[in-house]
Amino acid sequence: MAATVPVLLGLLALIDGGFAGFRAATGRNARIRKRRYYLLAARRGYGVGAAGLGFVALLVATALAVSADPVPRYAELVRAGIRLLQILLPFAALVVLSLLGYWLLPMRESTFVILVGLGPFTLLRPAVVLGATAWSVLGSTDWLVWAGEVTAAVSLLAVEPVVHRRWYRAPA
Amino acid sequence: MTMLEISDLVAEWDPVTGQRVRIRRDDVVARLCAAGDERAARIVRRMPVAGGFLDPVAVDRLLVRVHTELQRLNEELHMARRFAEILVPMLTAARVTGNRPRVVDIGCGLGFLVRSLAASGSLGAAVDLVGVDLNRALVAEATRLAEDEGLPCSFVCADAFALTEPATVYLSSGVLHHFPAERLAGFFRAQDRPGTQAFVHYDIAATRLAPFGAWLFHRARMREPLGRHDGVMSARRAHSDQVLLSAAAHATGMETFLFEPPRHTNPLCAAMRPVLGVRPELTGEFRRAMGRRARGLVPARTRAG
Repeated sequence: MAATVPVLLGLLALIDGGFAGFRAATGRNARIRKRRYYLLAARRGYGVGAAGLGFVALLVATALAVSADPVPRYAELVRAGIRLLQILLPFAALVVLSLLGYWLLPMRESTFVILVGLGPFTLLRPAVVLGATAWSVLGSTDWLVWAGEVTAAVSLLAVEPVVHRRWYRAPA
Repeated sequence: MTMLEISDLVAEWDPVTGQRVRIRRDDVVARLCAAGDERAARIVRRMPVAGGFLDPVAVDRLLVRVHTELQRLNEELHMARRFAEILVPMLTAARVTGNRPRVVDIGCGLGFLVRSLAASGSLGAAVDLVGVDLNRALVAEATRLAEDEGLPCSFVCADAFALTEPATVYLSSGVLHHFPAERLAGFFRAQDRPGTQAFVHYDIAATRLAPFGAWLFHRARMREPLGRHDGVMSARRAHSDQVLLSAAAHATGMETFLFEPPRHTNPLCAAMRPVLGVRPELTGEFRRAMGRRARGLVPARTRAG
């Protein structure tokens, strides 16, 4: 658990960064063939997400390094991470299922998936991230848990607007 | 409450001369306020003016941005594939006449449909794909995009019914709700002309869920307040199946159908549904070419009865 939880959270953050980059670039390029355009946008989102993740990791690592009792504090961070995953993993699973449905189902059914899945999930995502953060930090009194998770949530939610404003403000 | 779309009010062209009409911002705001749409009025109040008139360059830039965002919705709803599944059998039937078919997209905007059909090659090479719109800025952008990708299609700034060459098939996507119900008959009648074999017009299905679905979808996918507003208003203005079929019946030389309307399929899968018209002599061949999908064709008389 000590390694699995941070690795899972890191993977989720990086994958989410890629999708955030994709979303940041949507509606800004009216060409028909946009595969390379979207791949570049996903890489940019991934990069910005990785930078945010690196900052959170640095914050936590520095705090642990100067802490008098790093082992119980790390254990507290892991417990908080588990609480985060309790909400984020089911949501991520639903998103993955919706994406698979959109890609694999016939045309009409994939429209159904957009209307009941991917569209609403895009709107729900910030609320899910904030809800998971609240659920996680409220179970802890350690300031490092609060600082690390609030910073992580902000950096996660900032990826899309940052990528959009930096690279995709105007139509391509 | 009168339902108005901002995009219908901020850009206008003289249908005869093609010249742009200057629009006073205060007039647009007054119309929206009179319609009880304060939110739309606020959006228009933020638009730049020169001497009280809306700045046409800023309006054009805004409309290009909105249409670019709108294209994403069309991509997600597979609109080009939806058209292709009807156009391929339609053109198969129309080719019996021996002429090279010409497909004309009315109110093409950025020409997503025409460009997408050209890029996919799904209609084959022996077809002319033409997009027509009165908005010069959108037509210029559609032309630029098509040239950029080397797509075999063209765009014209004109009235679609005043082109020198007739269309074999007229099509449109999301255009019908822009017409008030009393003008729809004239729109369909205009397509009953020599050389024209069929039409297919997709528009938002007027279901109870449509305004909420449109709100959700536009909120999630569009950034421009104008696009979000007009998206919901489009769904609220959408014509019922009955209104569309009654109007389409004015193309007296055509047999008219709805294809997979909400009453005949899962309403959540029928966010958009088309009204079609086909010359009676081609209907048999069209149905044959449609194959199993022909079961989704609901003729006018069934609905009317």
